[in-house]
Amino acid sequence: MRNLANRAHGLTLCAALAVTGLGSSSLLKADEIHTSLQDRGHTIGYVTTDLHWSVYQTPDLKADCPDGLNGNGPRETFKALFPQGGSVVNTELAREGLKVFPTDKPAQFPYIMAAGPTAIGLNLDGKVGPNDFVSPSGEQGINNALFRVIGCNAQYRAPDGQLQLFANKLIRGFNFDRIMIELTHVDSLVNDDDVEVTLYRGRDPLLLDATGEKVAPGGTQRIDVHYGKKLIQHLHGRIADGVLTTDPIDGEWPWAIYFDTPAVLHIRDMRLSLKLSPSSADGLIAGYTDVDSYYHWLTSWSTHHLAYGRLDPSEFYWALRKAADAYPDNNGAMTAISSAITVNMVQVFIEHPAGSSAEPLQRTADAAH
Amino acid sequence: MSRGTQVQTVREWFRARSTGLVGGAFWAGVAGTVTLGIAGCTHLLSDHHPAAAAATTQDLGPAEAGTRARVRLLTSEQYTNVIHDVFGSDIEPGNPIPPLSRTDGLLELTSASVGVTAGQMMQLQRSASAVATQVMDNGNLDKQLPAHRDYLVPCKPKKADAPDDACAAKFLKSTGRLLFRRPLSGAQLDDLVGKAHHASAQLKDFYAGLSSVLEGMLVDPMVLMIVDQTEPDPAYPGRRRLDAFSVASRLSFFLWNSAPDAEVLKAAESGAINTPAGRARVVDMMLASPRLENGIRAFFDDMFAFDDFDTLAKDAMVYPNVSGTTLKDAREQTLRTVYDHLITRNRDYRDLFTTRNTFISPPLAALYAVPSVPGWVPYEFPPDSPRVGILSQVSFLAVHSHPGRSSATRRGKALRELLLCQVVPSPPPNVDFSIVEDPKANFHTARERLTAHRSNPVCAGCHRITDPIGLALENFDGAGQYRLTERGAAIDASGSLDGKNFNDPPGLAHALHDHPALPTCLVKRMYAYGSGGPLSDADKPELTWLDKRFAATGYRVPDLLRAIALSPAFSEVAEIPAVPAPPAKTASLTAPRPAAQ
Repeated sequence: MRNLANRAHGLTLCAALAVTGLGSSSLLKADEIHTSLQDRGHTIGYVTTDLHWSVYQTPDLKADCPDGLNGNGPRETFKALFPQGGSVVNTELAREGLKVFPTDKPAQFPYIMAAGPTAIGLNLDGKVGPNDFVSPSGEQGINNALFRVIGCNAQYRAPDGQLQLFANKLIRGFNFDRIMIELTHVDSLVNDDDVEVTLYRGRDPLLLDATGEKVAPGGTQRIDVHYGKKLIQHLHGRIADGVLTTDPIDGEWPWAIYFDTPAVLHIRDMRLSLKLSPSSADGLIAGYTDVDSYYHWLTSWSTHHLAYGRLDPSEFYWALRKAADAYPDNNGAMTAISSAITVNMVQVFIEHPAGSSAEPLQRTADAAH
Repeated sequence: MSRGTQVQTVREWFRARSTGLVGGAFWAGVAGTVTLGIAGCTHLLSDHHPAAAAATTQDLGPAEAGTRARVRLLTSEQYTNVIHDVFGSDIEPGNPIPPLSRTDGLLELTSASVGVTAGQMMQLQRSASAVATQVMDNGNLDKQLPAHRDYLVPCKPKKADAPDDACAAKFLKSTGRLLFRRPLSGAQLDDLVGKAHHASAQLKDFYAGLSSVLEGMLVDPMVLMIVDQTEPDPAYPGRRRLDAFSVASRLSFFLWNSAPDAEVLKAAESGAINTPAGRARVVDMMLASPRLENGIRAFFDDMFAFDDFDTLAKDAMVYPNVSGTTLKDAREQTLRTVYDHLITRNRDYRDLFTTRNTFISPPLAALYAVPSVPGWVPYEFPPDSPRVGILSQVSFLAVHSHPGRSSATRRGKALRELLLCQVVPSPPPNVDFSIVEDPKANFHTARERLTAHRSNPVCAGCHRITDPIGLALENFDGAGQYRLTERGAAIDASGSLDGKNFNDPPGLAHALHDHPALPTCLVKRMYAYGSGGPLSDADKPELTWLDKRFAATGYRVPDLLRAIALSPAFSEVAEIPAVPAPPAKTASLTAPRPAAQ
């Protein structure tokens, strides 16, 4: 436990604070970091700075969306369904109600699913099946059925898809989304076959760098132990060749995307695959996302915003159900969909409240030499 | 311009002020520069107050010592502090006084020899107008702005659209006493009340009329300048001393960096401030005041040349973690450390350079690679940390570096000049950098580059006295972040300071701690700062006494402040032999007059 306790004329202002973390500096070489890890409590924290639904895309659409992008958004479907207009209740409110309470009815308009053999994601079931993708690096058996649903929708495509852009931007702006991971029992950031990973929600603003655009490593986050208590989750994992891989858990990942409207993704068999460095952790959060929690996440985005990317929510719901590929209900309908989120994190010191702690940190990053 | 001419110029200035139009319009006639360097002349300005009681000064320092009487322009910080102390911190005066240049290691010492240009006077006029308007404003509920007049004017006029001499007099008497740092004479008050009456009647608004008079007061030279007025010293016939109000101002700007408050002025009015016992009570009260923090921070900000932070920038590509907030916090960290160590804890000044106690904020914590919490919190670096003393804080390391790399030379030079009061010669204009700039040389570390640079005998002389110090801080990059290597090569942080060798930053810190010039330099700087001007040979006896006193009290800064403030030299006027001053152009407010005899 690292105490910030300092005496100043009888004032012990922060004796109650127990802080864990690993100092990082981009100037330190890897071998120095490994030595430091062993000396410094075997603990390192990272905080989320960016989240994007993983979409493999090619510039000309030929490989991923040979039929083009979806064109039936709320405006287009409304125009087609109500060419003569009608009462507000029977037209506008009817469509908006369908957004909030979608049905299992088949889609009324053509929906373009992503095609092609390549997708970003992980092999969630350990198998290589006929519907699986190949990763960009050539790994077989990638499960990411969600990519079929979202891949050909302009909302999700870089660089200017509205949902991709703003949902990510709000990661930095909303403390609700401030998810951190803390790795304990770490002997090496390159290879360690036994690592504990804990998810917390932080409660402090992110530390921005000199440009004001990027998040700098080295900030400190206090844990939200009140509203964030239910988000504290434990995973077990291992590090091989600098990549952390965790075992799956049924996980919760908060991701509010619209002006503090809370949304929490329920991800079954959630696991992390992160390339680690002393200052960053980048990779994937993958698992089977509960269809209803995903749809709730999506529809917290307002209809007019969805219209920019031509994404009609009730049509999307049909596609989502159709592509879902795991956890069938009693009727055999799938309730979860394999998916992947690309995540970027930077190193952060995670401050534990008094009375709890992670591994002890005996010295500061630049003090151990 | 001869000294007599200078005196005459100031007299003209004062006369023009007293006959000028309400609202400071008199400034409009000034078209040039008025030189304020009039040391030794101010005894001619007033001779008002009776002598205070004579006292024994045997244990307070050399009785024969004295300092020059000066006229000093308020610094920008002092002007702001005065406005805030008199009217409240929500009255915003702007920044009408430009930064000073540095004399003998301190900005403050230049304030007795600066000029005020016509352009600066316009800025002062604008500021005065803005302050007066804010003080008299009626608030705005929609903008949640308070009606300052309701509590800054201590009475209500009988009619808001007409003059009220009694109410105007009440405000002008109390405010004038604080702004002029002495009570207004009956004639002065009558004059101001008459102007307020005239303006209120013309403008059909009591507060607008009062505002115009306040504006005029705020550009009055006696408000904008600290004028040492002298009187015969009854204890030493033939000698002069500062009058009680000048002592109050000198004490206050020394200890608080602001004007005296009502209590200090009361001690001046009673004459107690000119007796040893009375002044001791005042000084102890001032040392116990929260305003002392302003004074201490101002002094060390000046001594450490932290004004360099105002223009400091780091290359964001090289140091992405360093933002403007980081640099602001770096300055703040050291000033907090200084005040906490020297005043709150009352520790040995020399230990400031070896202490591991400091304060930390989140942006700084990222540079130190340590955890933090929101806001400022005390922090203690561990015993095996290379961070020892304020030399290893980001402030010193970053401000004495290049935008994209460290600088052993700048750091060594700063240490010698700022902390040891030594002078490092400036580099010659034709420095040959070809060796270090040769791309084929492939130097990895600063030590390699500087070793090559010192092979040039023209450069070697100065670099030998700076580099062995600065190289010991090479474990900290240009942003103050700790590092073990530079371009893949291990950093050798060994060095020496005037015969004392060390191997790392803590070694340098301890060598500096034990350097005999460290405390004597502080004494020099603080005494010069307190007396308001550069030192001369005549100050040596006083400095020698203060050095011994400082050592005897364990190098405690509050004791040093007290010793300076209570010493006879602080208020006795040193007689300076008349020497013809070099000619200078001055503004002519009226027709040229012959030099005073």
